[in-house]
Amino acid sequence: MPDARAHLPHRYPFLLVDRVLEREPGIRVVAEKLVSASEPYLQGHFPDRPLVPGVLMLEMLAQAGGFLEAEPLMGRAIFLAGVQDARFKAPAFPGDRLRLEVTFDAAFAGLMRVNGRVSCEGRELCAAKLLVKVMG
Amino acid sequence: MDDLNLRVKEMIIQRLKLEGMTPDQIDGTAPLFGEGLGLDSIDALELVLGIEQVFGVKIEDEAAGLKAFRSVDALTEFIREHQQA
Repeated sequence: MPDARAHLPHRYPFLLVDRVLEREPGIRVVAEKLVSASEPYLQGHFPDRPLVPGVLMLEMLAQAGGFLEAEPLMGRAIFLAGVQDARFKAPAFPGDRLRLEVTFDAAFAGLMRVNGRVSCEGRELCAAKLLVKVMG
Repeated sequence: MDDLNLRVKEMIIQRLKLEGMTPDQIDGTAPLFGEGLGLDSIDALELVLGIEQVFGVKIEDEAAGLKAFRSVDALTEFIREHQQA
């Protein structure tokens, strides 16, 4: 499996994929993110009750979706072009091991739509369709 | 406006959520992208999926899209040709 830092251009504190568990380029990716208590955004979201912002779960899915591309994304640009039918069903907390599943749905003219799902110990936390454009 | 042309316009309105728009408000000869209806690449993907689902016609690549998406009337003809094929 590819090393997240070798494939994605993102870096601390915004690299939100720890490792890739399963991968079929162009078809399906399963990745993992362990939410640590020291994540910078948890300082203020919220001081007495840290939980992962829903939009960051979408970003985790978008980054995991980057592994659908066979070649590393270093030096290339990958844009989130749209989010459809996003649902946040339960929050993610520090210590949670998040499973990020992204499957290819459709593509036309360089724009790709994927189905994303974040779960923790079999419980679905977030589901959304993402539109992603890869340039270069 | 023939029946297929009307159904294409209804599909466009429904898939792209052009709320408040009626089929007779869509100029069949106007370009779908840029000028005319002013659609973008995200709408293009949505239309490609809609056309496949509703009419059973695949738009395989950008070259086919360029031809099919010239206007609603061109799209109607593209669907008619490929449904027969």
